[in-house]
Amino acid sequence: MATISIDKVSRWFGNVVAVNDVTMAIGPGITGLLGPNGAGKSTLIHMMSGFLAPSSGTVTLDGAPIWRNQQVYRQIGLVPERESMYDYLTGWEFVLANAELHGLPQPGAAARRALDLVEMAYAKDRRTGTYSKGMKQRVKMASALVHDPAVLLLDEPFNGMDPRQRLQLMELLRRFGADGRTVLFSSHILEEVEQLARHIEVVVAGRHAASGDFRRIRRLMTDRPHRYLVRSSDDRRLAAALIADGSTTGIEVDERERALRIEAVNFQGFTTLLPRVAREAGIRLYTVSPADESLESVFSYLVSA
Amino acid sequence: MNPTVARLTLRGLLGRRRGLLLLVVPALLLLVSAIASGSSADAHGLTVKILGQLGLGTLVPLLGLVVGTGVIATEIDDGSIVYLLAKPLPRWRIITTKLAVATGVTWLFSVVPTLLSGLLLYGTRDGVVLGYTVAVLVAGAAYSALFLLLGVATRHAVVAGLGYALIWESVVGNFVEGARTLSVQQWGKAVAEAVAGDTAIGADVSFGAAVPLLLVVTVGATVLASVKLAGLTLAGEE
Amino acid sequence: MSLPPETRPADTGVIHDIGYRGYTGPRLGRAYATRSLFTQSLRAAYGLGRSGKSKVLPFLVLGVVTVPAMIFVAVAIAMKREELPVEYPGYLSSLSLVVSVFLASQAPVLLSRDLRYQTVPLYFSRPITRTDYVRAKFAAMVCAQLLLMAAPLLVLYAGALLGGMDFSHNTGQFLYGLAAAVLYAVVPTSVALVIAATTPRRGFGVAAIMGYLAVSAAVATVAVGISNPSTSGSDTAQWTSLISPTDLVESLVNELFELGNGLDRRHAPGGLGLAVFALVAVAMVVGSYRLLLSRYKKV
Repeated sequence: MATISIDKVSRWFGNVVAVNDVTMAIGPGITGLLGPNGAGKSTLIHMMSGFLAPSSGTVTLDGAPIWRNQQVYRQIGLVPERESMYDYLTGWEFVLANAELHGLPQPGAAARRALDLVEMAYAKDRRTGTYSKGMKQRVKMASALVHDPAVLLLDEPFNGMDPRQRLQLMELLRRFGADGRTVLFSSHILEEVEQLARHIEVVVAGRHAASGDFRRIRRLMTDRPHRYLVRSSDDRRLAAALIADGSTTGIEVDERERALRIEAVNFQGFTTLLPRVAREAGIRLYTVSPADESLESVFSYLVSA
Repeated sequence: MNPTVARLTLRGLLGRRRGLLLLVVPALLLLVSAIASGSSADAHGLTVKILGQLGLGTLVPLLGLVVGTGVIATEIDDGSIVYLLAKPLPRWRIITTKLAVATGVTWLFSVVPTLLSGLLLYGTRDGVVLGYTVAVLVAGAAYSALFLLLGVATRHAVVAGLGYALIWESVVGNFVEGARTLSVQQWGKAVAEAVAGDTAIGADVSFGAAVPLLLVVTVGATVLASVKLAGLTLAGEE
Repeated sequence: MSLPPETRPADTGVIHDIGYRGYTGPRLGRAYATRSLFTQSLRAAYGLGRSGKSKVLPFLVLGVVTVPAMIFVAVAIAMKREELPVEYPGYLSSLSLVVSVFLASQAPVLLSRDLRYQTVPLYFSRPITRTDYVRAKFAAMVCAQLLLMAAPLLVLYAGALLGGMDFSHNTGQFLYGLAAAVLYAVVPTSVALVIAATTPRRGFGVAAIMGYLAVSAAVATVAVGISNPSTSGSDTAQWTSLISPTDLVESLVNELFELGNGLDRRHAPGGLGLAVFALVAVAMVVGSYRLLLSRYKKV
C-alpha cells in the first residue's frame, strides 16, 4: 500500500504556468488522470516520478520526498511516454538490464516473470527496435514491473495502440489495481478512463478541476444549476416565456448590463428550450454565453471528448 | 562501477556501425606513420608532427569528443536515460561507470595506435614515444571527463566541445599565449616532457602546473556531471 | 455556444458555416517560395528569428573572425605602417578552422532538422520541387559562409584605405581575398551539406563534418610539414591537400595569385597541379550537388 501525495504543487516554465496549485492524493487502486492535451498531465507525472522539481509545494511518496531521492524507485515503476528504449537490445536483454539495475537478487527470474506477465515471452529474442507500438508498450510495462513495485505510473499508455492491444493492457492494469497496487495513468480520452478507472482526477489548464468517482463527477456537472448571460431584442418578454417552462429556476433582469441572468436546472433541456422559445416568441437572441466559464469548459470537454 | 550500465553504454557506443567509425582514428594514425616512416626526413621532427600535432592535437580531442558525448548525450537526447535514472542507483555511480567506459574506449583507440606509430617512427630512443603515450593517456581521460560533463550539461554538447577543442585549444591558443595554460593538450605535453626528459616536445605549461590542473578538471567534471545528472529534468523535444 | 451531442436527434447532422473561406486570390508561385526558403535558411544559419541560444555560436564565430582583423588594422594604423601585417587570403586560411566550425555546426541546422522532424515531405507538398529545395539550402549555406568571411575582409580593406595605405595594391589583394572567400564558401560547404543530409541527428552531423574537415586538414598539414622540401626539393607532399577541401582551396589560391611564402607554403604543385586542383574543386562541388539532388529524390 503506497500513496503519492501532491501538496499545493505549482510548476512554471518561465512565464508559462503548467501546473497551478494542485493538491491530490493517489492511493491504492486505479486512478485516471484526465485532461485535454497541454493540461499539465505529463508535468504532474514527471513530478510524481522524480524527473521534475515542483516550483512550489511538495510531492511525496508515503511521506518521503520524490525529487532527488533515488530510493523511491524501489517502490515506483514508471512507463514513460516516449518510445526510445535502447532499440539495439532484445526485449529479454532490455528487461533483464532493468532487473539488474534495480539490484534484484535473481534478475533472470524477475525478468522472465515480468515478460510472462505482459505476455511478451514469445517475442523476447527480437530486437525492441523491430517491435510494434503495442509490443513496445508492453515491454516498457515489463521493465517497470520487474521489481514488483507498489506504485505504477503510466504516461499516456494507450496512445497509438489498436483496440485489441488496448483491451489487453486494460486487463493487465485492472489486475494490478485489484492487487492493491497504486496505479496512475494519464489520458485525454474519456472512454479509456471510463472503462478502467472509477476514481479520476481531472486537470484543465494546469488546475485541478475535479476529483473523485467518475460517475459522481459527471452527475455533479450535469445536475448543478447552470448560469447563462443572455441578451435579446426583448429581454422581459423572453424572461416571461422562459419562466413558464420547468427547466429554469431563476431569471434576473440586469438593467445595467442590459441582459438576463438565467439559472437553468437542466443543462441539456435549457439549451434546446432557449432557441425554441425565442423563435416562437419572435425574439432575436444577441448573446448567449455561459456565466461560469471554467467549469463549463470542463464539462463540455468531458462529454464531447 | 555498475556492470549493467557499463554493458549498455559499451553496446550503445560500439554497437552496429558506430564502432567502425571510431576505427578511423587509429587507422589514420598508423597509415600516416607507416607512410612517413619511409621518408628520409628527420625522424624526431616527424614524430613531433605526427604524434603531437596530428595525434594529440587533433585526433585525441575529436575521439574524446565523439566518445565522451556518445556515452551519455545520445541517451539524454532520445529520452532512454529514464531507464537508468528510474532506479535506486546513485547518480555518481552512473557517471563514474560511463566515464570509465569512455576513458577505456578512448584509450583503446588512441593510446595503442600512438604507441605503435611512435615505435614505427622513432623506436625507443630518449623515451619520446613513451612520453607521447603517457600524454595521450592523461589527455584522453581528461577529455573524456570534460566532454561527458558537456553531454550532461547542454543539448549542444558536440558544438560546445568542438568550440573548446578546436577554437580554444588550437586557434586562440595559437594567438594568445595565456590560453595555452588552460588547454588539456598542453597539460598532456607537459606530462610527456616530464616522462621523456625534455627532448623538445614543446610544452608551454610546467609539469608542476599541469598535474594539479589535470586532476582538478577530471575530478571536477566528474563531480559536476553527477550533480547535474541528479537534477536532470525530462523535457520533450527542444 | 455549440450544442452537446446528446441533444441532437440521432439521425441528423449538420456542419455549421462558421465563416471559413478558402483563398482564391493570386499566388506568388515557385520562385517566390524558393526565395523565401532561401531567406529563412540564411537567417536560420545565423540563428535570426530563433531562440537566443541558437544565436550564440554564429555570432561568437563572427566575432572571432572579425575582431583580429580590427586589431590588425588598429595596430597598423597606430604604428603608421605602410602595409597591413597580413595578406587578405592568408588571413582567411589562418582562420579556416574557425570557419569550419561554423560550417559544421550550422549545415546540420539547415538540413538535419527537416529530416528529423520529417518536414521535408511537407515542403514537397507545396509548389516547390526537390531541386528548388536543394538549391535554396545550398545557396543559403554558401551565402552564410560568404558573409562570414567577407566581414573581416571588409574590415581589413576599409582599415587599409582609412590608414592611407596604397590603394591599388590593397584593392587587388582585397579582390584576391574575395575570390578566396567565394572558393572557401563553395567547396567545403558543398561537402558538408552532403554529410549533413545523411543524418537526422544534428550532433552526429556536426561531429562528422568537423571530423572530416579537421582530420583531413591535419593530415595534409602534417604531410606537408614532414616532407621537408628544403632537402629533397620535392612537391609531392602537396598532393595530399586534395583530401582536404579547405587545404585544396588554400593551395589553389596561393598558386593562382602567387601568394604565401615559407617552407610550409601550401600550393598546387606546378601547372599540372593547378589544373588537377581546380578540377578536383569543381568535381567536389558538382558531385556534392548531384549527391544532394539524388539524396532528396527519395524522401
